[in-house]
Amino acid sequence: MVYDASRKREIEIIVKKISDSGRKIALPDESLDIVKLSGIDVPSQVLVKSPGEAVKKSAEIGFPLVMKIASAEAIHKSEAGGVVLGIQGVQEVEEQYSKITSDFKGEIPDAKISGVLLQKQIPDATHLIVGGLHDEQFGPVVMFGMGGVLVELFKDVSFRIAPVTELESLEMIREIKAYPALSGYRGSKALDIEQIAKSIIIISDLITNISTIKEVELNPLLAYEKNVMAVDAKVILR
Amino acid sequence: MYIDKFFNPQSVAIIGATEDPQNITSTIIQNLFQMGFKGSVVPVNPHHDTVFGLKCYPSLSDIKEQIDLSVIAISSSHVIEILDQHIESGIKNCIIISGGFAEIGDKGEAIEENIKRISRENGIRIIGPNCLGVLDNYSDFSTFFLPWSKVKRPSKGYLSILSQSGSYSISMLDMLSLEGIGVSKFVSYGNRADVGESELIEYLTDDESTKVIGIYMESVDDGRRFITASSRCSRDKHMVVLKVGREDSGVDAARSHTGAIAGKYEVYKAAFKKSGIVEVDNLEEFIDACKVLSMQKPARGNRILVLTNGGGFGVAVSDLCCAKDLDVASTPSQIKESLSNHFPEFFILNNPIDLTGSSGDEDFGTVLQTAFVDNDYFDAAIVIPLMPPQTMTERVVDIISQSADESGKPVVVCTISGEYTKKTKEQFELKGIPVFPSPARAVKAMSILVDRGKAHGI
Repeated sequence: MVYDASRKREIEIIVKKISDSGRKIALPDESLDIVKLSGIDVPSQVLVKSPGEAVKKSAEIGFPLVMKIASAEAIHKSEAGGVVLGIQGVQEVEEQYSKITSDFKGEIPDAKISGVLLQKQIPDATHLIVGGLHDEQFGPVVMFGMGGVLVELFKDVSFRIAPVTELESLEMIREIKAYPALSGYRGSKALDIEQIAKSIIIISDLITNISTIKEVELNPLLAYEKNVMAVDAKVILR
Repeated sequence: MYIDKFFNPQSVAIIGATEDPQNITSTIIQNLFQMGFKGSVVPVNPHHDTVFGLKCYPSLSDIKEQIDLSVIAISSSHVIEILDQHIESGIKNCIIISGGFAEIGDKGEAIEENIKRISRENGIRIIGPNCLGVLDNYSDFSTFFLPWSKVKRPSKGYLSILSQSGSYSISMLDMLSLEGIGVSKFVSYGNRADVGESELIEYLTDDESTKVIGIYMESVDDGRRFITASSRCSRDKHMVVLKVGREDSGVDAARSHTGAIAGKYEVYKAAFKKSGIVEVDNLEEFIDACKVLSMQKPARGNRILVLTNGGGFGVAVSDLCCAKDLDVASTPSQIKESLSNHFPEFFILNNPIDLTGSSGDEDFGTVLQTAFVDNDYFDAAIVIPLMPPQTMTERVVDIISQSADESGKPVVVCTISGEYTKKTKEQFELKGIPVFPSPARAVKAMSILVDRGKAHGI
């Protein structure tokens, strides 16, 4: 178990808050909070509910930043025009707040919008995916692979029954076809395999120990030479 | 132990027994006679006084002796009343061969639910329905209703098979006999109303006559129990699984990419990996894997000696080894030197060793003695003796199998089956050396031995 009892309790409080509000799907900030409490780094972020609040908080986050629609209906946000990258100043924040929310309403008229997530934009890197789910037959399962929007197309992923050991997490990383690209290919530097493995173990422990979580996913998990960071996450309850 | 009674009953009641050759009970009884089953066979049928010379009872409650196991092969509509008689008679084990249950839809499903309830409430253990039941080669007991004259009963050995499918079971029996693979126990459990693979794996883990378990699986009975049982079992024994029904849609109501990609089959694969089970893709690979694991022991490493008298096959086997992470390492120079004293210059002594069409039986022995028995560099050997040259005779079987024995290391043989070659295949397999009819199958079999060696930490 990577995280301690008090953090587990904090996660359970967030999970309870979600289910008390009658939802099964966590909002982006809630998902990232759960991930962060589990021990995976996430960029600094804040959920805002009005253009004015967005302007005020954006200065605290710093620029450039990313704005993401926060709605339980926005499962794949970028496909619904719900994500804007590279925002450079407060004026842009104000404009984009209205644009993102109205565009999203245009896509999904009945959607309930909880606000907009402001997130510090961090340098782009290799996109990985780490997911966990509860299988009816075999219980908790963990998945690792190449992330991004093409993940379902290439399916370059590996699976294990959770909880996984460190050895198993390393096997999962080595098993995918793109492994050479992660471990230093043609002059590129190797990514932080140790931190990637740690993220797999964390997700494996999370899906194993918090029984109310049905699915959890980091996509993308950005992997650098040193460190990894989850910029987007989904948590779905049973 | 209730499961043991399925394999080793002292007394068996055959419900609906008749001599009518069209009725499967007559084949079951005759098979038992033919096998020399030592326990008592008790026919039950109100319409007969005797069946094949055995006293026949009108109902289970009329039988005085203790019945260990009943075999039900009557219409599904009468099964419940017969099961109720089990409660009064205190019979705790039952194999229901009959079909007409969950597999036919709602009506059958309702009867099957009733069977489950009776089983649960009264502690009656049930195999089936809609199955062949069991074969135990050690107690000479079987409920298979196909005559041994048409399906060859495999010899006694250490492989046990668990199968959801009856038709696959029968085909496997024939294939196992043809491949010279000895069998311990065979269970076809069909609809799995009660006893399923997880409990059978637990039982076979402690069964001394089972060293390899092959499973034909459509679905698992209890995922977590299966993983626990298999992980324990595969520590000392080998397990092979053929999973069918793979094109299942993803996990229900999945909203994440993980859920969309995680088809049920991906999760099954992960479960097999976790459990230390060798997974294969088709029936041919299933038989091959069961065969090599039954006949040979795991390899302690991946350095493979490839020895042939046909250069082309040496190259093909080497290529395939490479793709499976098997190391066809160069022959060490001291071995080469020592071999060069025995052979003409045109024999190729670098691994793969090609003795060419000019070599004979004894030359195989010389190489194996020098490079494989006296020297410990190689971990395992793939030998491809092509039989057509004049100089090759059936003696090569003794030569190769003797070296294999002396080396204490695994050896598999690849031969391409012509009329003559087929005879040597049978002889090899009698001596416990598995023969495969293509380079790809021989190499795949060897890679399984290497993987199992790693898993068992040899």
